[in-house]
Amino acid sequence: MEFFKRFSKRLGFMFVTLAVMSFIIFLLVEIMPGDVAQTVLGQSATPESLKALREAMGLNDPIMVRYFRWAGGILKGDLGESFYMRGVQISSIFWRRVGHSIVLALTALLFYVPLSLFFGVVAGVKAGKFTDSVISFFGLATMALPEFVSGVILITIFSVSLKILPITSVIPIGENLWQNLKILVLPALSITFVMFGYVSRMQRSSMINVMNSDYVRAAILKGMPRGYVIFRHALKNALLPSITIIGMNMGWLFGGLIVVETLFGFPGLGSLTMSAIKTRDIPLIEACVLFITLVFVVSTFITDMLYAYLNPRIRFKGGEA
Amino acid sequence: MKKILFALVIFVLGFSTANLFAGGEKETEDKMVIRVAEQVPNLITPGSWDGQAFSMNSSIYEYLLEMDAETGELHPSLATEWSTEDGKVWTFKLRQGVKFHNGSSFTSEDVKFTLERTQDPDLGHLKAQDFSIIERIDTPDDHTVIITLKSVRPTFMYQLTDYNMAILSSEYDYGKLGESAPMGTGPFKLSQLVPKESALLVKNPEYWEPSLPKAEELRIYFVADMEASVSLLEAGQVDVVPQVSPVIARRLTDAAGFKVVSPYQEHRFVALVADREPFSNNDVRLAMKYCIDPQILARACQGVLGETFFYNETPILNRLAQFKEITFRGRNIEKAKEHLAKAGYPKGLTVELYYASDHPYGSELAQTLKELAAPAGINLDLKGFPRDIYLSQYWLNAPMSITGWGVRVDPSMLLTLAYHSEGPWNESHMNDTEVDDLIDSIASEVDNAKRQSYYDRLQELFVERGTVLNIQVPYLVAMRSNVQDYRQPATMLCQYKYTYIE
Repeated sequence: MEFFKRFSKRLGFMFVTLAVMSFIIFLLVEIMPGDVAQTVLGQSATPESLKALREAMGLNDPIMVRYFRWAGGILKGDLGESFYMRGVQISSIFWRRVGHSIVLALTALLFYVPLSLFFGVVAGVKAGKFTDSVISFFGLATMALPEFVSGVILITIFSVSLKILPITSVIPIGENLWQNLKILVLPALSITFVMFGYVSRMQRSSMINVMNSDYVRAAILKGMPRGYVIFRHALKNALLPSITIIGMNMGWLFGGLIVVETLFGFPGLGSLTMSAIKTRDIPLIEACVLFITLVFVVSTFITDMLYAYLNPRIRFKGGEA
Repeated sequence: MKKILFALVIFVLGFSTANLFAGGEKETEDKMVIRVAEQVPNLITPGSWDGQAFSMNSSIYEYLLEMDAETGELHPSLATEWSTEDGKVWTFKLRQGVKFHNGSSFTSEDVKFTLERTQDPDLGHLKAQDFSIIERIDTPDDHTVIITLKSVRPTFMYQLTDYNMAILSSEYDYGKLGESAPMGTGPFKLSQLVPKESALLVKNPEYWEPSLPKAEELRIYFVADMEASVSLLEAGQVDVVPQVSPVIARRLTDAAGFKVVSPYQEHRFVALVADREPFSNNDVRLAMKYCIDPQILARACQGVLGETFFYNETPILNRLAQFKEITFRGRNIEKAKEHLAKAGYPKGLTVELYYASDHPYGSELAQTLKELAAPAGINLDLKGFPRDIYLSQYWLNAPMSITGWGVRVDPSMLLTLAYHSEGPWNESHMNDTEVDDLIDSIASEVDNAKRQSYYDRLQELFVERGTVLNIQVPYLVAMRSNVQDYRQPATMLCQYKYTYIE
């Protein structure tokens, strides 16, 4: 019951957050410098052509009228029409990119979550030993490398020297992502470089704490096999902080990979957001940013619920973590 | 838990390995395909289009006349003949048997529709002013168009080569369809479009010239980042990358398997605004002109002066027939200081220079101009902005600016727009009666020799008291060595119908 109450409360909070954020996003895009009509028409724009285009785009309507028109459309599932590419529905571009980003995010998750957790656990169990030092050093080193640096290193190794992976993640015309899974590898590895340090170090310190707790020591003293104690008793509790970190990064992973996607030319949501900003394509920017916000809010909600589920103190008492 | 982790690790390793050994490039196809990486991910809307997605536009649409990429001469395209006796009434004979991509026939009504569309106030056509000169359009039959102008315009036919003047089908509903399904009479037709990602254009089997296009397919990838586009070229995933930076051009020129061509020069006009201090005083304009060293500017743009880079003090391109060779004054800092002192600035001055920092050559030129002007005491305060912000907020209203201008094959079009006191894009606020008269005379003079004499006098005036530094930079296109017969005349419209892969 407590868990259900917590679930309902958080769900309500999630919807309020989304509603507030939708207005903030709309306002921020409104005050963003630049002009979509000027971007479309370029240097040859005349006052008459700019006026006609703004009128056609509905940009001359009052701001609240435009907000409710946009928000109403979103609620009905209509993302609107692109300003920059007239006649093109945003949904025809947007969902394809979302699909690509989800596949990339899942691939990256498959790459970095097991690796980071595994090596974090090993480092935590072997704390202070040579293995721990090597893993910690590697984690720090990869964490310190920005994506555009690690990306270039990966391109140099796998694409330029070894020539086994494509240099950019462009999907050839007439094919789809599933026929070109190899284009996911380098961006996913690049994300792994960034996330490995965070997650493995968090897992390591959490593992050290749990391994030093009374119940784990008691289990070991009782003569239970070490591996059984680590994976059966310690790991479940030690996973909580790592789950928080992974969950909190889901939004970034699903929509915020602007640097990685731009570097590799990957056709995902991050590069679409970048392109929309460059071209001042207001409805497209709004759709992208709102979706990224949605992913953040939902992933935080799921993390919260998972955290509550895994932590009986929260699950049964309804206490705040 | 252990089993799940183990399964995940195995999956990841298996997936990575499968991908790693999946191989890089696919086998070469039998059909001839040209692959292009365009940096502008937009569609094309004739009439309200900023003219950058050249590959798509010029392959799907066609124009009444076509410019020869080598000679600059006008050749028949959708019009087979054109004539005028007085420069006021123009008769165009249209090609017969031409079909639009939807199967409808091309007739004089389509030409009339295209021209009348320029004057639609709801559309805000970018060529509205240029074509407001038309008084009447008659279509006596399906293959003849007679255009009567309000005044004499002996070079009117050049206006029809503007990239916004593609001939459109009068049956296409632009209001409803926008550019979601662009359709023309061109050598390629759109087969598949993934907005912001790619476009597949296939050979138009009903093209009026049966031997063209030479390629079966034109595949266009929209890759916003120039470096990523060049990476695709180097990896063999595309054949042509238009509009590369001079640094990349130099790198590719030295690499085996690639070549870089410069089909035409583009203007970068440095406007010295005539009705605002300090350039309202011609001595300050002259001081700035004495600071210029074209050799250094060329080097900053990775160009070679006299080969890929040109400079003069008039709005006319060095490579055009109308250009008059006038001995360059040379860089002379002492003279620059003298002119500044004469203008009342013995201790120098500061002026803001506005430019589009993300436009090719923008930042390089701004930095170099600042360095060149500094010794004379002219401090250029650099104000770089993204191009749309620069154009919407600062252009036409800045004391000094650098702006990219496309080529106008008939320079009188450019003069009327940018240097006539009533020109809509008079960025340097030129307001000189003699200049206005000369521009008007050039636009209406039928006699070629007389017209050239007006051009000559106009250029002398610009050197004496003009408001522009005309920096001419190359438009660079990188491609694989096996790409043959790439043509792109000064109209900026690529002619992929001639291009083939060796």
